[in-house]
Amino acid sequence: MTARILAQGIAKQFPGVQALDAVSLAVEPGEIHALLGENGAGKSTLGKIIAGVYSADAGQVFIDGAAVGAIDEVEAGRLGIGIVHQEGSLVGQLSIAENVFAGRQPTGRFGRIDRRAMRERTRALLADLGVTLDPDLKVAQLPPAQAQVVEIAKALSRDLRALILDEPTAALTLNETERLFEVCRTLAARGVAIIYVSHRLAEIFALCHGVTVLKDGRVTGVRRVAETSQDELIRLMVGREVHFARTTGARSFGEIRLEARGIAAAPFVRDASFAVRAGEIVCLAGLVGAGRSETCEAIFGARRLAAGEVLVRGRRVRFGGPWDAMAAGLGMAPEDRKDAGLFLSMDVAANVCATVLDKVSSSGRISSTKADALAGRFIRELRIATPSARHLVGHLSGGNQQKVLLAKWLAMEPDVLIVDEPTRGVDVGARSEIYRILRDLASRGLALLVVSSDLPEVLTLADRIVVMADGCTVGELDGATADEEQVLRLATRHTRVDALPVAA
Amino acid sequence: MSNLALEPAAPSFRSRAGTLPRRTLLRLANSRALMLFVLVAALIAAMSAFYPNNFPTRYNIAAVLLNAAQNAILVTGMMLLMIAGGFDLSIGSILALAGVWAGVAVGWWGWPAEAGLLIGIAVGGLAGLVNGLIVTRLGINALIATLATLTIYRGLTYLTAGTGVTPIGDAFKAYGQSVFLGVQTPFWVMLAVVTVGAWLLANTRFFRQYYFIGGNARAAKLSGIRVERLTLIGFVIMGLLAGLAGVLGASRLNSAVVSAGINVELSVITATVLGGASLKGGEGTVVGGVLGVLFIALVQNAMIINGIGIFWQNIIVGLVLLLGVSLDRFKHTHRG
Repeated sequence: MTARILAQGIAKQFPGVQALDAVSLAVEPGEIHALLGENGAGKSTLGKIIAGVYSADAGQVFIDGAAVGAIDEVEAGRLGIGIVHQEGSLVGQLSIAENVFAGRQPTGRFGRIDRRAMRERTRALLADLGVTLDPDLKVAQLPPAQAQVVEIAKALSRDLRALILDEPTAALTLNETERLFEVCRTLAARGVAIIYVSHRLAEIFALCHGVTVLKDGRVTGVRRVAETSQDELIRLMVGREVHFARTTGARSFGEIRLEARGIAAAPFVRDASFAVRAGEIVCLAGLVGAGRSETCEAIFGARRLAAGEVLVRGRRVRFGGPWDAMAAGLGMAPEDRKDAGLFLSMDVAANVCATVLDKVSSSGRISSTKADALAGRFIRELRIATPSARHLVGHLSGGNQQKVLLAKWLAMEPDVLIVDEPTRGVDVGARSEIYRILRDLASRGLALLVVSSDLPEVLTLADRIVVMADGCTVGELDGATADEEQVLRLATRHTRVDALPVAA
Repeated sequence: MSNLALEPAAPSFRSRAGTLPRRTLLRLANSRALMLFVLVAALIAAMSAFYPNNFPTRYNIAAVLLNAAQNAILVTGMMLLMIAGGFDLSIGSILALAGVWAGVAVGWWGWPAEAGLLIGIAVGGLAGLVNGLIVTRLGINALIATLATLTIYRGLTYLTAGTGVTPIGDAFKAYGQSVFLGVQTPFWVMLAVVTVGAWLLANTRFFRQYYFIGGNARAAKLSGIRVERLTLIGFVIMGLLAGLAGVLGASRLNSAVVSAGINVELSVITATVLGGASLKGGEGTVVGGVLGVLFIALVQNAMIINGIGIFWQNIIVGLVLLLGVSLDRFKHTHRG
């Protein structure tokens, strides 16, 4: 059988970076093939070259044995290559049907758009994917998983031979992920070749047949999923064995620094209670949508508290805004570092100093010497890989951006630090460093509240695990003895847990 | 100029790859103020060489500086708002409203000149406060909010004094017409405003927060920066400065004109953008904005001396703006 997708000797250079170097890849019809690698390994670039979004500097892509030159969106569609982008390509204000047929709407006489045909065909495509959605709904109203399905339907609206999925589960809950897997399996059964770009190992074992591992733009291994192991894949990804040891319960905890008593913040938080002690890492676990981030925002004064009370060092507080929370010694590194955490167009020093502008000024005047010194300290302490404190944060890798975000909050020397998803979009190496930093902070007496959707991460970090579901805290587990199943059982309460894929 | 958050980072490895002329161009594009300074200097040198009898005369230079005074005062406030990602379209109307109130207070009610000046500036501040409240409390975006108050304030101006107030009074006119070192007062007031504004914006903790708001308003709020309060203060400052420009203009003409400042918001935003601000916010300097005003004033002056008609002047100013902004595109595409 000839490979449906064959890429040979692909090279691609971006200014200053060799993104891909002599990369080859073959995917059979009906195969789900994973493209695995750390952030910046070149996975997305390869996917985009195959889909014709980028053109390669060298090498050749073949679809069913036919050489494909430099192609654009339209040409890719004609060839039956679809791509579901990481960032999404949907227009929120338009309906599902219009998005699915963007630029290729079925037309009647005089070029009038045949809305009925468009609706019907959209409905059929969605039904094919096992989803019932009104094609007239606006995409902005859909939850992320359904938007993702619309993306796939858009790719499917052409006669699809190859589909590239770029980190499709980043925004999905476990149930939604399982749904997406079903769709992938259905497509594969019809002979579509699927390239699945991801760095989540568990998903690859749950879904894929073959896997190609990339590191720094080169292929480091091609394996059959059935014949490999997580350890081997991690070794191929990072070039070394990585073990995340669990926190040992050796640390002693101090007084209660932060306590939430029955807090509610409409519409996502209904009844959350927990406490964090000095020197303790408490993880808020739960499914996406359980109201964990919103709970943190409500504590931090960024969301209005409808009921319940927050106590800092045993004293009841009422925050009018994040500035009040900061004055009380709280810090919060939010989940979405690009949108809510960092100033990407500013340099490292400015970002680090954003929370402590008064600390780097004397009598109201900003001192760039002090700012540089403070930034320099954190660049050293957190090992932020940046050419200088003057480098734009937007140009750093995800892991280093995350460290800048942490530095920004450590600069204010908080008593309690809330960290929402500390390692989202961060590669394995930086991940273990961030764990080291967080543990180190706790051992120095900081009270840490960590929100994480990544179960192994929760188990690795937590001294205590507080599980949330549907806006309520539903249980607590000891971090040293809990296992994934216990957490999931609490998080899903009455939902079925057996078939769930476990995020790695 | 301090460089925290203000200057782009040291050129990244990408820009080093370019050829020498491209690198020079990049460096110029990276500091808009520097680029404008070079252009202004070149324009002055060229005009002095070609028109030694018309351009470098005391009378002409004084006229150029005086004409630039109003817009340079306004550009200081507009730069602050645009750095925070906002802007104010109603400044021309605020300017007229402030002038008319000063005129009414002094010319009709016989108040002392100083009280007239203060009431004009206060009216400006109040108008700015209303703008700020609409934007921050009602959550209406600055374009729509100030587009609405643009016509409302102009209407209030006509209601206050339908035909304007002329003359206002000798004591009042002294504030706009007295001459120091060959230039009239408005220029010196402008110089003070601009110097103080530039220093504050570049150096103080308080004003530096505006760069963070423009850089990422949500992150700024979560970093403990009081985004709404600062935005409100920005609009008040803009209003006060528009009021100041209004009373100075009225005093200089000894007349409160109801049609004063029509379309001034457009030329001020033009100068602000030329001076390095972007609609997204987060960048720009007062010095850049003032150089933008000066550059446009010089281009217009040069065209008058050359006998080029007013229609062509408009076209040239538009082209200059497009050129300035396309340099930005060049900068962004080549820095990645």
